Amino acid sequence: MSMLTRIVSVLVVCTSMSAITNISEAAGHNHQAMQPKKQQMARCEGTEIICAKTVTSAFAPNGDLWRLWALDSSIYFQISKDEGKTFSESNRVGIDKEKISARNENRPKIAFDKYQGVYLSWATPKEKKYTADVRFSYSSDYGKTFTQPVTVNDDNLLTGHSFNEMLVTGEGDISIVWLDSRHSYQLRKQGKKTNGSALYLGKANYRKGDKNFSNEQLANNTCVCCRIAMNYNNHGEIAVFWRHIYGDNIREFALMTLGQGDSKQSTPYQISYDRWKINGCPHQGGAISINENNRYHLVWFNQGEVGKGIFYASSDDQGKSLTKPLSVGMQSAQAAHPHMKTNGNRIDIVWTQFTGTEHELWHQYSNDNGKSFTQAAVIAKAFNGSDRPFIITKDNVSYVSWQRPRQSHLVQEL
Amino acid sequence: MSFFKKLISGPIIFFLLISNVVFAESIAFNKEQLTALKKQNMGKQWLMLLWSVDCPPCFKELAILQKLQRQHDDLAVVIINTDASDEVNAERIDIIEKFELNTLTNFHFEDGTDAQSRFYIDPNWYGELPRSYFVESNGKFHGKSGLVNQSLLTKWLIN
Repeated sequence: MSMLTRIVSVLVVCTSMSAITNISEAAGHNHQAMQPKKQQMARCEGTEIICAKTVTSAFAPNGDLWRLWALDSSIYFQISKDEGKTFSESNRVGIDKEKISARNENRPKIAFDKYQGVYLSWATPKEKKYTADVRFSYSSDYGKTFTQPVTVNDDNLLTGHSFNEMLVTGEGDISIVWLDSRHSYQLRKQGKKTNGSALYLGKANYRKGDKNFSNEQLANNTCVCCRIAMNYNNHGEIAVFWRHIYGDNIREFALMTLGQGDSKQSTPYQISYDRWKINGCPHQGGAISINENNRYHLVWFNQGEVGKGIFYASSDDQGKSLTKPLSVGMQSAQAAHPHMKTNGNRIDIVWTQFTGTEHELWHQYSNDNGKSFTQAAVIAKAFNGSDRPFIITKDNVSYVSWQRPRQSHLVQEL
Repeated sequence: MSFFKKLISGPIIFFLLISNVVFAESIAFNKEQLTALKKQNMGKQWLMLLWSVDCPPCFKELAILQKLQRQHDDLAVVIINTDASDEVNAERIDIIEKFELNTLTNFHFEDGTDAQSRFYIDPNWYGELPRSYFVESNGKFHGKSGLVNQSLLTKWLIN
């Protein structure tokens, strides 16, 4: 055997050994850590929902539950006629493939009108880092066909447009909000310093032939990496709730109702006063839900000098004044990612905690408009990672939707 | 040595070298790796920086480290990517290469293990980024969320 052949053989053996060692170490580690939940780790194959990191769910006006997820540059959906107990086969949204942001705070959105219209919106990352466009597609035939997607932001700039949220009225009035970096992009070009993004609103109505989305800036200096929340109030106006930058990188939540005429609000109300100073990414947005008496209910998360953890508060005057924020969840157990919904006097709040090995979905509710809450309880667990939980409603009944990657997508009545 | 052996030896050696380089770029993070890291760095002052491809301010801190590393080639810095998603593997590697930080020790959270990995490092950290841990020579960790300025990093790592 020549010297060279020997060297090659030794290298091959060494590499194999190290590979084997790595595998057995990994297996040993997994075995130890995953033993009680080994049977829970489902196989991820192709583009099935079990492979998705995030899932978006919503009830259509006819009571069907839609759930959608993005994999392999496509959006897939399923429909359930029994509140999530069983679902149809997976359908791929019939548009050309394009990248779709679908992790953590970013994910596709879905909404409906009362004429079988299905509305989709998502962010598509572009070739340069941190650049994306907000995209939109419409189906007039309940998901059989979808229109060629359009870009909602109209600036034609290779910069950030992301974290889209969407509301659609029964008549098909579409409102999409998103975080937009066009202003900071222009300033950077001029050599000026910038901080944060801007909040934008785009409106259109495909049913009425109004297919060009308006682009209006609602606020400037928003946090760049937290989801936005929005809801209609009982005047049919949109209230938007987002993480704003106040002063020197103090990240607090802000609220603005998009009224018309005299009721138009020019400056957002500051909602939280937790003093979270961070020149970075919290990756934690809030939630808003407004009841038929126009009481605004809000949840958020902060890690400030003054306030740490999840907080709930409500307002009878659209955010001008607020009830005393109530602490929710166990701060020492990683309580985070709250979501909420109100129906009449009922308020449901969900969030996640982490035990050190398992993710827990927690739930707490009030039957007296937030004056008092039941004791918090764990309603489900996840073993291979956890998506943010969201509450969806049908006929005044709330359900939680919680994607558990490689485990299952949970839909449960609250 | 036969001609055939010669023919295959070259590509095999090349492949092994390449694969070793790839393995050196980023190591899957786990509890044992963290314990080893702490042990290896005991007695020196070092920095552990956690970052994500979805965190624009993290890029600024990576850029500062790039600058410092051009001036000092033995920075006591460990970089850990927190995305915990196989979908971003290519993007993660691109970014580290772009900032010329692949000569530093790089780790990444494995797919689906973000909360678990965070918990090993610091159960009181909620995943906000960038997250910098200033580790004293006695092994004591001091966590800071948000972008750290260049003067503080220079002071900690160089002076």
